[in-house]
Amino acid sequence: MIFTTEMIQLFAVVLGRDCERVTEALLREGVMQFINISELESDKPESLSAIKPQVSLAEISDLRKQVEGFLRTGGITPSPPNEKDLNNRAVVDVKRESIRLDKMARERDSMRERQRTIQQEILKIEDIKRQVELYGIGISDVTLPAKHSFISMQLGKLPASNVKLLEDGLKDLPSLNIAMGRENDMAHYLLISMKRDSESINKILANAGWSRVELPSELKSVKKDVFTELAAKLEKLTGEQKQVEEQVDELIRKEEKHLSEVWVNLRVNELFQKIQANFKSSSRTVIFTGWLPSSKKDKLTRMIKQACEDRCYLEWNEAGSTGIIGDAIPVSFNNPKTLAPFQMLVKNFGIPKYGTIDPTPFVMPLYLAMFGLMFGDVGQGLVLAIAGSLGVHFWKNDKAKEGLRNLAWLIIWCGGSSVLFGVLFGSYFGKSLFRPLWFDYHGIIAGHSMYKSAVNDIFDVLAITIYFGISVIFLGLLFNWINIIREKKWAELIFDKGGILGGWIYAGGIYAVSYMISHDFKELPPGAALFFLVGLPALLLLIKEPYHFFKHEASAERSNLLFALINFLMEWFVELLEIFSGYLSNTLSFMRVAGLGIAHVCLMISFFTIAGMTSGIASVAILILGNMLVICLEGLSAGIQALRLNYYEFFTKFFHGTGQLYTPISLNSTDK
Amino acid sequence: MSKYSFLNAKLRARISKILPDELFDELGAAPSIDAALALLADTPFGALEEIYSRTGDLKLAERELLKSEIGLYKNIREHIHQDCADLLDALLSEFEIENLKNAIRLYFDRKIRKRSVESQVHYILYDRIIHDIPIDIIVNAENFEEIAGVCSGTPYDQIIKKYSNTVESEGSLFRMEVGFDHFYYQNLLASIAKLNRRDRETALRLTGVEIDLQNINWIIRFKNFYDLPLEAVMAAIVPGGFNLDKAVMGELYSAQNVTSVLQGFVKRKYPGLSALLSSQTSDSTSRLLLIRRILEEIMKQEVQRILAGYPFTIGIILSYFILKRNELKKIRTILNAKHYGIDQERIESMI
Repeated sequence: MIFTTEMIQLFAVVLGRDCERVTEALLREGVMQFINISELESDKPESLSAIKPQVSLAEISDLRKQVEGFLRTGGITPSPPNEKDLNNRAVVDVKRESIRLDKMARERDSMRERQRTIQQEILKIEDIKRQVELYGIGISDVTLPAKHSFISMQLGKLPASNVKLLEDGLKDLPSLNIAMGRENDMAHYLLISMKRDSESINKILANAGWSRVELPSELKSVKKDVFTELAAKLEKLTGEQKQVEEQVDELIRKEEKHLSEVWVNLRVNELFQKIQANFKSSSRTVIFTGWLPSSKKDKLTRMIKQACEDRCYLEWNEAGSTGIIGDAIPVSFNNPKTLAPFQMLVKNFGIPKYGTIDPTPFVMPLYLAMFGLMFGDVGQGLVLAIAGSLGVHFWKNDKAKEGLRNLAWLIIWCGGSSVLFGVLFGSYFGKSLFRPLWFDYHGIIAGHSMYKSAVNDIFDVLAITIYFGISVIFLGLLFNWINIIREKKWAELIFDKGGILGGWIYAGGIYAVSYMISHDFKELPPGAALFFLVGLPALLLLIKEPYHFFKHEASAERSNLLFALINFLMEWFVELLEIFSGYLSNTLSFMRVAGLGIAHVCLMISFFTIAGMTSGIASVAILILGNMLVICLEGLSAGIQALRLNYYEFFTKFFHGTGQLYTPISLNSTDK
Repeated sequence: MSKYSFLNAKLRARISKILPDELFDELGAAPSIDAALALLADTPFGALEEIYSRTGDLKLAERELLKSEIGLYKNIREHIHQDCADLLDALLSEFEIENLKNAIRLYFDRKIRKRSVESQVHYILYDRIIHDIPIDIIVNAENFEEIAGVCSGTPYDQIIKKYSNTVESEGSLFRMEVGFDHFYYQNLLASIAKLNRRDRETALRLTGVEIDLQNINWIIRFKNFYDLPLEAVMAAIVPGGFNLDKAVMGELYSAQNVTSVLQGFVKRKYPGLSALLSSQTSDSTSRLLLIRRILEEIMKQEVQRILAGYPFTIGIILSYFILKRNELKKIRTILNAKHYGIDQERIESMI
């Protein structure tokens, strides 16, 4: 759990005839992160070739994406395949499915085209409607239009047989043609159009045999009817639009079952081929290699042997051994599920380098301790825990919301820590209801602690956080040493800023400061002790640069030794400055824990004071609002500060986020 | 610091919501426009999918995208310190100018080129952006005099009056549009000049790179679509570029090997990008497109530099706008490419 999962590399040779069954076993197990075997080509270029499937991976992927596109349009997110789907894997008839999908696409596109046409009609009507609304045109405006109105209105008659001709002609222009009645074989119409189209309109009207007529007095109130007509036409078109939209949905719904089945089969085949893309074959054999966690070795061996009835050669190489192929070893976290929210915080910073310490199990207590010290309150902690629980419940079954679910769990953990520290500080929604188990935070800040304890004033609180910070920094240094020892970088172990000499100076500095404090800031430790604690390691650091110089660069630079000497001194001086200022600021940075804790208590005291100035409901409302504000603001800032301290004061001592996450090909793979 | 502390927090939160590159890759790989829009359904751009499903009209969805972009500027304008309000107005005026240019193009097509504009009039904005400009009247106008008349009281009437004769005599809106662009950048630089020293330096740097990009776009257009003499090109170049001054632009327009003109400053200021210059391209247009890509990379680097540096400057606001504009541009490009059935590889080169 402390280190990343131990990985092992498999190099396998199987017979060509067992290739399919072995691939199936590998996909079923889903534990191999493959290395493209082409890295071996420098050794055996002539005899190895890629496996050529019947249908190419690109074709299958494209088809799968096409099906997925249809499903997503219908609001359906396909679920990853399961073992049953793998058992039922069938050869994909790409041609047949493509024809089917193309037909669907054509149907959908023609529906979209229809939608676009209707939309154009709607926009034209809306254009007229907007103009009518803007400039308040009435039927009387046919002869006297409103200023800046772009509407043209005219009443006229045409032979009834030409009505269709007129309608067809007006189709592409924004216009409204309202039937006013019939007189023998002549149809009367009120035509509303845009002035800018007058040239085209006049031609169309002339073709249709349109002749203007005088405005009859009974049509003086036609303005209302224009609006009604416009609204009715818009409503009709919107209805049609809705119908086409439903048809598109229906098209996909109708095919949903088939599309889902095809998608699953395509996905299985795609994963199958993704595995085989990493294989290389000779005339009779197939070879492949990749990484998996050591714990999965036995099961995978069994499965491969079972798949090829023992006709295989399997070679296992541990990470770091000479026989491994490639440099990068993937990193798999090895933490229980309860640590998932804290693992998320670590991953957010970076993936640990393979074989180094995974800080997740330490982040959990450190983060929670920091949070609790800044936000210790039983009532407010319970509120956080409840809010987190609701989040977990809400995002319970949604795989896509895993990040949010982890965040909700983190809030529950923070709530729990807050409750624990609330009991230790005796704080219940900012009120001291019970005797604190550790110290009376509120009493200390208010200046009248009711209970005697080892912590009596703000300086004691600050001291706690400083001690806490020193412990965290030393833990970081210890982890750094462990990482360096595992990598056998002995010079780095001694000379690195976070190495033994750096730690020695830091420890010496802490002793010197505590000595001064215990002597009322009037005395430093004796000279010999001070030299041993700080001076000696500082002098020893002077060896670092010459050591590197003579080990790595000496031959190239020897001609300029004077320059090198000045460089050594400069580097030493800068390094010492960095060590002293760096460790000092890292340590003092932890005072923010006390700062935030004090601010939290002060805010609660303030709200109680304000509430005390009022009475009844107002007082209760102030306390409720105050608590809500503190929970939201302080909760957030305590969470952020705890994260910051972990990232910048703890992780920077030992953590190299340069690892590559282990991503095996499995049925649950989410790659696109 | 207090001037930007609230906005800084707000914008950083918004920047974290900008769509990741992986999603753009997925959008580019989507088999159809429907599938691409479905991928956007769970993002802040979900409204596009809703509009397209309802109407099948991509242009309408794009109009909504534009409205949301303008809304974004207006929203930031509400929260910004008074000292920077002029700069925000200047930035916002870009949308107003573009919309006005579109309206004038419609008038020009309808009245002078005698083309139907019915399919386009619905996709420009009729709402007020900064000034009260009656877009309706401009689209339906009878002549430039009428357009200039309804624009009086805005900074645009003089530009329209100045170039209306040229437009009619040349039968092209080119000079008027260049005039609008020049006005936009003059106005922007004038508003930057009012900022304090730190903000001014940051804003000039970013705006300068943007001007470089704008100029290089002009040069590409001049080379491909117009056969202009060098003097006309130089008159069109917007002054105030960060890396490329007028002289370099002139060289770029005339030179055959345009990449060599840029080698000096790219190697000195952006060594990480000099490898791009060595790309083998066949013709001068491809090389100019390569330069545009380099300038876009420079813009990205400048934005990253600002985001990683001192946070309480105007830089955070400008960076946000640049990132957001890029995001919207990518979405527009991909959706249009999907609409016209352009293949994935080409889409990737376009974004």
